[in-house]
Amino acid sequence: MEATILPEVTAAGVIIKAVLILAVISAIAGFGTFIERKILAFMQRRLGPMHVGPHGLLQLAADGIKLFTKEDIIPQHANKVVFAVAPAITAATAFIALAAVPVFPDFTIPFVDIYVPSIASDINVGILFVLGMMAAGLYGPLLAGMAQANKWGIIGSARTAIQFLSYEVITGLSILAPIMMVGSLSFVDFNNYQTDGLWMVVYQPVAFVLFIIAGFAETNRTPFDLLEHEAEVISGYATEYSGMRWGMFFIGEYANMITIGVIAAVVFLGGYNDFWIFPGWLMIIAKIAFSFFFMLWVRAAWPHVRPDQLMWLCWKVLMPLAVINVIITGIVMMLV
Amino acid sequence: MSEVQTVENMVSITIDGVEYKAKEGEYILNAARANDVFIPAICYLTRCSPTLACRICLVEADGKQVYSCNAKVKEGMEITVSTPDILAERRAMMEVYDVNHPLQCGVCDQSGECELQNYTLELQVDSQSYSIQDTKREASDWSSVLHYDPGLCIVCERCTTVCKDMIGDAAIKTTSRGGEALDKSWKDNMPKDAYAMWNKLQKSVIAPSNGTGSTDCSDCGECVAVCPVGALVSKDFVYTSNAWDLKKIPATCAHCSSGCQIYYETKPASIEDRTEKIFRVTNEWNYVSLCGAGRFAYDFENNIEGKDEVAFASAVEAFKQAKVIHFNSVITNEEALMLQTLKEKLGVKLINREARAFQRFLNFYTQASGNSLYTLDFKEVMQSDFVMSVGTSLRNDNPNARYAFNNVQKMNKGAGLYFHPVGDTLVPTFGKTVESFVHQAGHEEAALLLIIDLFADKDKLSDSVKEQLDRDALITTLGGDADKFNAAFDKMMKKKEKFSLMVGEDLYFHEKAENLAKLIAVLEASSEVSVAMIPPKTNSLGVALICDLDDEADGFTIGYNESGDFKLSALGDGDLDMPAMNQQEGTLTNMHKRVTPTNAAVDYHGYELNDIMREVAVAPKETIDWTEHLPTAKGFKAVEFDSLPNGYLNDGTENRGYVLETTSIEVEEVSIEKFDKSRGLEGEIAYRCNPQRQFNDFSDKAHQIFEGFGLYASPAKAETLGSKVEVTFDMGSITLDVIVDDRMEGNIVAVPDFKSAENIYELFAESRYQTVTIREV
Amino acid sequence: MSLEQFKNRNVGTQNYKKLDLEHSPTCGWCQFKQVVSRTFKPELFVGLWVTLREMGNALFRGKMHTTQYPFEKLPISPRYRAIHDMLRLLESGHYRCIGCGLCEKICISNCISMDTRYDENQRKEVSEYTINFGRCIFCGYCAEVCPELAIVHGPRYETASEQRASFSLFEDMLTPIDKLNLQQEYDGFGAISSNADENIKKTPLAY
Repeated sequence: MEATILPEVTAAGVIIKAVLILAVISAIAGFGTFIERKILAFMQRRLGPMHVGPHGLLQLAADGIKLFTKEDIIPQHANKVVFAVAPAITAATAFIALAAVPVFPDFTIPFVDIYVPSIASDINVGILFVLGMMAAGLYGPLLAGMAQANKWGIIGSARTAIQFLSYEVITGLSILAPIMMVGSLSFVDFNNYQTDGLWMVVYQPVAFVLFIIAGFAETNRTPFDLLEHEAEVISGYATEYSGMRWGMFFIGEYANMITIGVIAAVVFLGGYNDFWIFPGWLMIIAKIAFSFFFMLWVRAAWPHVRPDQLMWLCWKVLMPLAVINVIITGIVMMLV
Repeated sequence: MSEVQTVENMVSITIDGVEYKAKEGEYILNAARANDVFIPAICYLTRCSPTLACRICLVEADGKQVYSCNAKVKEGMEITVSTPDILAERRAMMEVYDVNHPLQCGVCDQSGECELQNYTLELQVDSQSYSIQDTKREASDWSSVLHYDPGLCIVCERCTTVCKDMIGDAAIKTTSRGGEALDKSWKDNMPKDAYAMWNKLQKSVIAPSNGTGSTDCSDCGECVAVCPVGALVSKDFVYTSNAWDLKKIPATCAHCSSGCQIYYETKPASIEDRTEKIFRVTNEWNYVSLCGAGRFAYDFENNIEGKDEVAFASAVEAFKQAKVIHFNSVITNEEALMLQTLKEKLGVKLINREARAFQRFLNFYTQASGNSLYTLDFKEVMQSDFVMSVGTSLRNDNPNARYAFNNVQKMNKGAGLYFHPVGDTLVPTFGKTVESFVHQAGHEEAALLLIIDLFADKDKLSDSVKEQLDRDALITTLGGDADKFNAAFDKMMKKKEKFSLMVGEDLYFHEKAENLAKLIAVLEASSEVSVAMIPPKTNSLGVALICDLDDEADGFTIGYNESGDFKLSALGDGDLDMPAMNQQEGTLTNMHKRVTPTNAAVDYHGYELNDIMREVAVAPKETIDWTEHLPTAKGFKAVEFDSLPNGYLNDGTENRGYVLETTSIEVEEVSIEKFDKSRGLEGEIAYRCNPQRQFNDFSDKAHQIFEGFGLYASPAKAETLGSKVEVTFDMGSITLDVIVDDRMEGNIVAVPDFKSAENIYELFAESRYQTVTIREV
Repeated sequence: MSLEQFKNRNVGTQNYKKLDLEHSPTCGWCQFKQVVSRTFKPELFVGLWVTLREMGNALFRGKMHTTQYPFEKLPISPRYRAIHDMLRLLESGHYRCIGCGLCEKICISNCISMDTRYDENQRKEVSEYTINFGRCIFCGYCAEVCPELAIVHGPRYETASEQRASFSLFEDMLTPIDKLNLQQEYDGFGAISSNADENIKKTPLAY
């Protein structure tokens, strides 16, 4: 691995970056809810929120105020400690995962001369770390569902376990092929791999599709939002949650959506490299934004699947395809 | 006896092929109504003479077209109600009535009970063929209670007819309208009778008969009741309610002893105030006529918030220490029975002056005649053809007696004799054969003796009577001219079969009451004359029969609507509130010897006498549970209140409550005291008599009764008196405003007794006439 | 006679379209084929396209459906029976109600009451009029029976208020005098038919 010549990463830089990520992603996650409502409304030829602020922009603030000020209810028979901790797990894992993901290019704060890296912690097993953290996020819904003494919660947590664990396999296998090509687990290396050449999606279309599908399942989005499928299990693991605890699940989900968007952008869609006349920072934002939009778009267009269909798709279709993809990649790499 | 007569006089008639029985001499229309056969008619009133104004009652009898209101039934008569010709006539008449009649039924007070509406629909008038230019006719108020809108008037003349034939005022008449003359071409182009009716209608309108814009009458409002359209309406009721919004509550009028059947018509007072309020009083005008008090004095209810427990507790205490209960005759039979029960259980004394006088008189009469009650009721007086009145101010004391007297003159071609110390200008106008004696107060015995002399079979008389019968001397004593009267009397006696005498309060409060009662007994025993008595006040007859009244009493007194140490009052001015007559259920015994039920029209939230009874003696759950315990020995029946009917049948049969049972036993001949001419009162005399439409505190409380409390005098007398006078009696004095009564004559002045607070009975002591001194102040 | 028409109890017009259902795949390979075919046939993408197209329609071609309700309102059918209006005479501005009480009588929930009186001009004046909207079932009989077309059902269907009395007084329902020119003749329940003139019998007039 070639050493890139970069300024020294200081603790201050990392902290600034971490705060930046936390603030920005939280804000974006909140803003995401507004965007989601607007996009879904437009696709149904509605206006969506209009009343609070211009075009409903302040709806976000209103919702935030509502979530913060709402009564914090813990059910009588819930396991109170676990019940209280579970949303924090979801939110925390989502943000920790983002620590190893490059979110914005690196820059130096003028005057104080602090270098803020593109990545809070460019650990050499970045991808593994991110995937691992996201997998650890499964404890949030799982514990939440089991702690709340509610049958819908139990069903929700059961679904969490099978869905997250199963699709973790697909995520891992699908991303294995690009890893084999790049030969590194660092996101920076992925980005650099695509600096001059074509985007990874061209080399690995199957892996990309599998990763996106798995990403929907990992982020608990339609058509795979069976954990909290309201027509079947009320709100699944989140049934008994309200106020800011429920808000943390929400932020976690949107942070995960962004994480998946970032991974897809960096691993498959050329990362934060400049493209034609567009600078790299704009490109990465555009790519993440598109991923985000795509998730909403899918939600507007496609129906849910059944849990059994979900499992069938995972183990009988996607997993074999991923394995075959890895094998073919290996064979091609051997031959070329 | 009367029943046998009716069976004998029945004839068979056939109406539309169905055979019916009818009383001989009855009009076809009445016969049909009695048999529930419908013949359309607008202008006819059952107890009045046919007007022939509307002509709609046209029927075919034995092949000829006759007016059924004016043609009498004959044995075997065949009547067809509708032939094509008659239907065409009737339809044309209804069209004519609808010419220029305003179509704004929506605002009309009569809408919903309008006979013009009803007959227009009944005769299926769906288009109009006639027209004529309308005359401008302005609505106006005829008096403080009458409102007339000539624009709505169809000149059926029911109002003028009832005013003349029943009431006797004849205060309104038809007059010229000044309308456009009918086009002659109509005469050939429309049915004959319809044209004749139109011709008359187009020329006429109703107006007060004194030529001014306002009526000079007793304001009885009977014209309002009979008006088939919205032309005549009570001034206070105009545009305040629709007929269908009002709830009819059958009741008995509680102002005088007539005890007329009335309906209190109620609905919530307003949008804000949802308590029931009486909006008007109506009656079955074909069968009973009301007076002004009955029709307009209805809002005398005692409005109180709720039960005053403190006052009730002190009332119970008062009853426990009471020695005397002082009450008047505005009381139900049930309450009278409660007071009697108190007397029996607690030994209190019962004081009721007017009922006591009447009770004493009745007892004298019963002892002398053997009859438990007087023999005639006032419906029968109306059937007679020679009616006499002694000892009552006919115009003031009892409207039904007056209507009967008048009706006999108008309907039965009757004759009348009126004896009274107070001159009256109205009574002589009732008929051409009415002779009126203005005699000296105290000479009532002479009047009865004259009647005995005129009608008695001399063989049946005892010597004590016979020796006093000197006709010419009696006539002179009574202030008449013997020769003139004898001539007039011969004329009066022509074709007369039924004789009736009405006697009133003057006799009950007479020094010689016993002798008078005996004379009446003698009269009945020796002649065909039957006698009806007018109880002094509302339920005096009931109280007289139920209660064992005392003459004098001392000690702690409870006054029930009267003064006392503790006062129960339905007027709202006492120590404990009581329900007024329109707020309670119960029965009243009226002068027709009938026990009639009355119902509560207005809510009452306070205590009743029955509640006190429960505390101090015994009481059933409700006041009306006393009804079946009324004394059967006195003629009452042991029937439940709820089983008492209150209405009239189609043929006019009174179906209200029940009639008191009377008994009659043979008695020894009685001796009559000699009439002492010197007992007549001389000098300035005051007469205890209420103005028309005033009977008691309750009529006074009503907002549509305007007759004030003052000294009533004839116009001539009033001029000599000034505007305000002090009247001094032996027992005290009272200061009164002088009020002119146009229909009074002579020097006697009238002092009303309708205000119980003024204690007028005390001033007059045991008489209705007192010599007084009057001084202007 | 055939009883066919009586036996066919399905009263709908028979133009249902049956779904073209394939047989469910039985073997694993068949299922795989189905997945592949469904994936690569544009079915899923049609869905995406439809939603995207509608978004375009909504945003750029003015096909947005939303009515922003409290600020914008849809026009209401004249037959709709909402809160009553009391109309005025167009020429004089006097209210049309003559106080005939027919609405009060016909009201099946007994919620109309009025007070009337004899006024200075010898006319029947409606001194107070109220409808208890807690009881009113909006049946429209009052509008139908009204001989003067005075009480009609208006377009005010928003009946939430702090007090029911907020709508129920005469002045609340009466057309404001300054808005007399905006008063609409009512077409709904109880309005006169369009050919009413033809059905009237002419009454002869002498002048």
